[in-house]
Amino acid sequence: MCITWRRKRVLYIWTLAILALGGATRGQDVDAKPVPILTGSTAYFTRFSSGTIQNAPVVSPLLLAPLGDKWLIEAKGNFSDTVSKTSQLDYTGTLLYGLNYAQVDYIANRFVTVSGGRFLTPFGIYGERLAPDWIKALQTAPLSRGTTSGSALGGMLRGGFSADTKNTVEINYAVYFSTCNTNHLLATDRTTGGRIGFFLPGPRVEIGASFQQLLQGDRSHAAGLHGEWQPNSFPLTLRSEFVRTSGLKGSAYWIESVYRLSQVPHLHKLELVGRGQQYYANAKLTQAAATLLGLPGTSTNQGDFGLNYYLRNDVRASASFGKQFAADGNNANIWMIGITYRFLVPLGSKGGAL
Amino acid sequence: MRTIAGKIYLLLAFFFLLVATAAFATSGYQGSNGDKDSPGSTAKASHNADDSTMRLEGEKRFHSNCSRCHANPVKFPPRMIATVIRHMRVRATITDEDMRLILHYMTQ
Repeated sequence: MCITWRRKRVLYIWTLAILALGGATRGQDVDAKPVPILTGSTAYFTRFSSGTIQNAPVVSPLLLAPLGDKWLIEAKGNFSDTVSKTSQLDYTGTLLYGLNYAQVDYIANRFVTVSGGRFLTPFGIYGERLAPDWIKALQTAPLSRGTTSGSALGGMLRGGFSADTKNTVEINYAVYFSTCNTNHLLATDRTTGGRIGFFLPGPRVEIGASFQQLLQGDRSHAAGLHGEWQPNSFPLTLRSEFVRTSGLKGSAYWIESVYRLSQVPHLHKLELVGRGQQYYANAKLTQAAATLLGLPGTSTNQGDFGLNYYLRNDVRASASFGKQFAADGNNANIWMIGITYRFLVPLGSKGGAL
Repeated sequence: MRTIAGKIYLLLAFFFLLVATAAFATSGYQGSNGDKDSPGSTAKASHNADDSTMRLEGEKRFHSNCSRCHANPVKFPPRMIATVIRHMRVRATITDEDMRLILHYMTQ
């Protein structure tokens, strides 16, 4: 009975999805035919915190393979080797590698793109847009990262379109379903959810909301709000995310500001970053569960300040200092320095340089 | 439990239906407006339109959309830019029109 009901639900949803694809389908209209490229970043970070020094070279390659006018295969992996030196002068090495996403995208029409495979969960703005090393303004991730499932294995519909002919409001959305996968490298939860955002290109403001329902375990849900503003008159970016969960993972928010000194002579390549955040732990969250989820074991406040200097457009040196105030009194200072190089290599004929 | 899951599926189904309706409705709208965004007619339009106006609009769209995460553009060959823009169409959910104008701006 349960299986029949589930099959009916899946059939119903896919029927509607196919209907959605029935709109006028159009491909990418470009004079230049897209070429496969290998992009991504290499980075080296050193982190000092609680008497431990960590050195981590990181490589994050991203393969983009367009097929025809409407298809795109994208796959991003990561590899890092973190060498830690404790205050007792012990050295330990931790090799980490994984597949962030490997998905096939079909641009069905101007409203809908269908994606399948392993993909980043569309929740808020950090995971999908800001998390790559060469984009994130601060190399330390927000405390809210562990409150939702970050990766998914399944299908997703997404898109962005103007709400009116004058392009005063753009709407972007994503809805997805993910199956449970227990492979240690590709682990995902059985979840469903989505995100919707409203972007006003004139004042450069975006606000949006996200939802995620866990369909296994404690069947908890997470709801989130996000916002971003870039004033036209000065080079500031303000962004924020808020997440609240019904389960053990607690709630959190962060607010980040990035100011590029582009109007200051000799300092125009410098960026100042500040971020404040609070994490509210669930009273039932154990330290073991918190470690597994990548969350602080207790309610925590954290403030970070950072500097980014663009040596070239694709090379960035960064430094940051963060102070963590935990409810159990285990406060910590987090220092971090690093350098990131973003590469972009064509895997075919480039079609001439500009 | 089934009730909650059922509600979620219903919500998803409603959303798909909404998208389907919007897609059908606007595909008709496009046709009645000279199909200005279709592949064939865009090529024509780009020949007829003022190139500098398109570039300016593309620059504006670049600063509205891409500058939210990226620094100023580096000039790459057009075929590479075309791939990156398609990637951003998916990842950053930029609109079809944004994609075309930014591509025009970055390849000129």
